[in-house]
Amino acid sequence: MKKLKRSILYWILLSPIVVLTLFPFAVMFITAIKPATEMLSPTWWPDQPAFANFITMFGETNFGQALLNSLIVAVSTTVITILIAIPGGYALSRYRFGARSAFRQFLLISQMLSPIVLVIGLFRLIVWLGLIDNLAGLVFVYIGFNVAFAVWMLQSYFSTIPKDLEEAAWIEGASPWRTLVSVFLPLAVPAMVVTAIFTFIASWNEFILALTMLRSANGYTLPLQIFNLVSRYTVEWNFVMAAAFAATIPVAIVFAWLQRYLMRGLALGAVK
Amino acid sequence: MGRRATPYFLILPSFLMAAFIILWPLYQIGQISLHDVNRFGMLREFSGLANFQALFADPDFLAALWRTLIWTLGVVLGTLIVSVPIALILNDDFYGRSIARVIIMLPWAVSLAMMAIVWRWALNGESGMLNSGLRGLGLIHTNIEWLAQGSTAFPMQILIGILVSIPFTTTIFLGGLSSVPDELYDAAAVEGAGRWQQFRHITLPLLRPFINIALVLNVIYVFNSFPIIWVTTQGGPANSTDILVTYLYKLGFRIGKLGEASAVSMITFGLLLVFTIIYVRLAMREEKDA
Repeated sequence: MKKLKRSILYWILLSPIVVLTLFPFAVMFITAIKPATEMLSPTWWPDQPAFANFITMFGETNFGQALLNSLIVAVSTTVITILIAIPGGYALSRYRFGARSAFRQFLLISQMLSPIVLVIGLFRLIVWLGLIDNLAGLVFVYIGFNVAFAVWMLQSYFSTIPKDLEEAAWIEGASPWRTLVSVFLPLAVPAMVVTAIFTFIASWNEFILALTMLRSANGYTLPLQIFNLVSRYTVEWNFVMAAAFAATIPVAIVFAWLQRYLMRGLALGAVK
Repeated sequence: MGRRATPYFLILPSFLMAAFIILWPLYQIGQISLHDVNRFGMLREFSGLANFQALFADPDFLAALWRTLIWTLGVVLGTLIVSVPIALILNDDFYGRSIARVIIMLPWAVSLAMMAIVWRWALNGESGMLNSGLRGLGLIHTNIEWLAQGSTAFPMQILIGILVSIPFTTTIFLGGLSSVPDELYDAAAVEGAGRWQQFRHITLPLLRPFINIALVLNVIYVFNSFPIIWVTTQGGPANSTDILVTYLYKLGFRIGKLGEASAVSMITFGLLLVFTIIYVRLAMREEKDA
């Protein structure tokens, strides 16, 4: 089959899924630029697009505060998770030790447990630590839930880095620590970046734990803040959608941009 | 420190972090589920399986259990059926392939809660864009209140569940397809095998381990999935869209029946453990084969 003919056929076959996938994004954007007067009219494109909604939304929805909270939570979770996971992944890929396979099974099992299953126990844990309604408590729990995935991803990457390079450095007389810092870690940077992006997105988007542990409006992360706008008696959907759009698009762009690398990493991590 | 201790020292921080947020809460839930407990979580006397008995006498719980089965099977099978052809197409070379890939992977980057909020608005009975879209196409003539009853809300939730599960599943299949050597197809073509025969006798068998893994992982994720249902209907109206995890949340944090909620947690955990053991077996077997 000629490439052009094939391309047309494929796009026709893909079109239902493409439309369904893009539909929520279209809904988000179009609603976000509808003026309040047109909110209840079921038209597609607004007569008078109100791009100013994006600016008004900032004040109406306390967006800035929630954005800051989300950034604090996601960045601290990502940095700490990676720092904890690097030695773990390194041990799994470079050492053969007794508990290795038990530890790997433990990682797999803990990856399977969604926070919702443990939510009552987690709530008690956080109350016990005195960290309810505290972003630090949320970060603590997020690290716990992300660390297994991060170790798993890193070890599968680390195993693809040839050991010869480190051995060569040892022969040259470099100490193990020196070898790690100037030979191994630079080669592992792509792995760390991919793992960091997945961890960042996971904690940026997390909902259940935030819903359970954050109590006061000023501490809400973005998903929770936007959910709470929808739970009010009257919902200003144009602001809600503008906020959802603003919270979603930057992450989606980064994801789309790095997609190919992320996919390769995940396929490696999930199946191997 | 001896060399033999080094790896243990290296894995200790990650083990402690993961263990702390899993084992401690699990122990708590186990305790609560076996005790009479007040709504502030104070344990009173040991009550054996009373909380579990109360659950199995509760028609809402049984309905949620049944619905969890439909939800999980519906979303997972729907996802697998759609994802195989998508992966086959995306694995082939065509104009605009990278754009198509980006579009199909896009929902992955979006918070499920956010996706559900958008759908809740799109499914709005009066001014939702699904109704206006369908009316514009002449498919319906009066607006449908999608989320007002379980009979329309639940199928829509399953549909949303499928849509958001496609990216991950397709990725696993793409990983699988990229490991199929081209020579196999060339050889088959020389032997005179058609496209369908090639699919049946080469692609499908080689893809099988990836399908197994995608199946088990999706069962685990979907079974646990909370935001789509919680954000669109909170399990309502009248518990008609509840699955185990939303019912658990309601029991625990709305009604304050912590004992029963913990019992639901334990049941959910037990079921997950079964799925997980299947997964670990599969994953470890793949590894030996590889």
